[in-house]
Amino acid sequence: MDNAERLFNEIVKEYSERVYWHVRRFVNNHEDADDLVQEIFLKIWTALPSFRGEAQLFTWVYRIATNETLNWLRREKVRAALRFSSIDAEMERRIDSDPFFDGDAADRALSKAVAKLPEKQRQVFILRYYDEMPYEEMSAILGTSVGALKASYHIAQEKVRDTLGHENFIGTD
Amino acid sequence: MSKRNDISTPEGYFEDLRMRLSEIPAQPARVSPVRRLAPYAAIAASFLVAVMLGNFILGRTASPSADDDTWTYVSYLADALDPDGAALVDMYDEWDGLEEEEGLSAEDIVNYLVADGISVEHLNYLSYEEGF
Repeated sequence: MDNAERLFNEIVKEYSERVYWHVRRFVNNHEDADDLVQEIFLKIWTALPSFRGEAQLFTWVYRIATNETLNWLRREKVRAALRFSSIDAEMERRIDSDPFFDGDAADRALSKAVAKLPEKQRQVFILRYYDEMPYEEMSAILGTSVGALKASYHIAQEKVRDTLGHENFIGTD
Repeated sequence: MSKRNDISTPEGYFEDLRMRLSEIPAQPARVSPVRRLAPYAAIAASFLVAVMLGNFILGRTASPSADDDTWTYVSYLADALDPDGAALVDMYDEWDGLEEEEGLSAEDIVNYLVADGISVEHLNYLSYEEGF
């Protein structure tokens, strides 16, 4: 086994679960999350020779994961349009039909509200609220300043509150 | 740790996932369909641009059939009114060609013929026959 394979296996062991949960929040469906995770790690394997250690490994892995997830979302938008549907309706359908969704009605409503956020705000919300990622780490992954991320998260929370009703969502900082 | 008490995975999923992912290095390198099709897409795009450019150029330089339509009409009238028809044809030839922008409408010809002395009854008869 050469060094690249060894490093790749380390990345799989260290980050596969974390990447899965992150992706799952975007795609709202276990099967699609599984497919997307495999695509992400295939991309990681392909890009590994070009990784020069200019960023932390975690940051680099997450950057690939978020980019591939955004690409997936954009493809789903097109697929939804071809079915004369909308991506919002499609996400709601996924949340409602996911057999591995164990939450209550409030959790379901929150997932649907998050799914309606614009791409960037959704990214920031998921990373902060669900993944509980520090802003500094988020800034390294997304290439956005901490200040802008805080503002983006604040706006995202407000939108979620508006969708759910203020009394039904208590956000975080 | 992240908040994930509302979603779950099948039993043993992550062990299975790690096993599948660790097989990636052993898989043959995949050329994405996009990469494979890129050269053909480039050729198709060039062809399309050439066709569109050609259409655009031809459209601005070719004479439309307005000339032909008017010539047919004038010829018909010439035959109907004057078996010889030479006078009208000559008159047409004297026109400095038909400019696409100006055109020559049926009304123009009718006005000319009326000015030349054709009777209204005869014109009406021709109008009815031709449907104009």
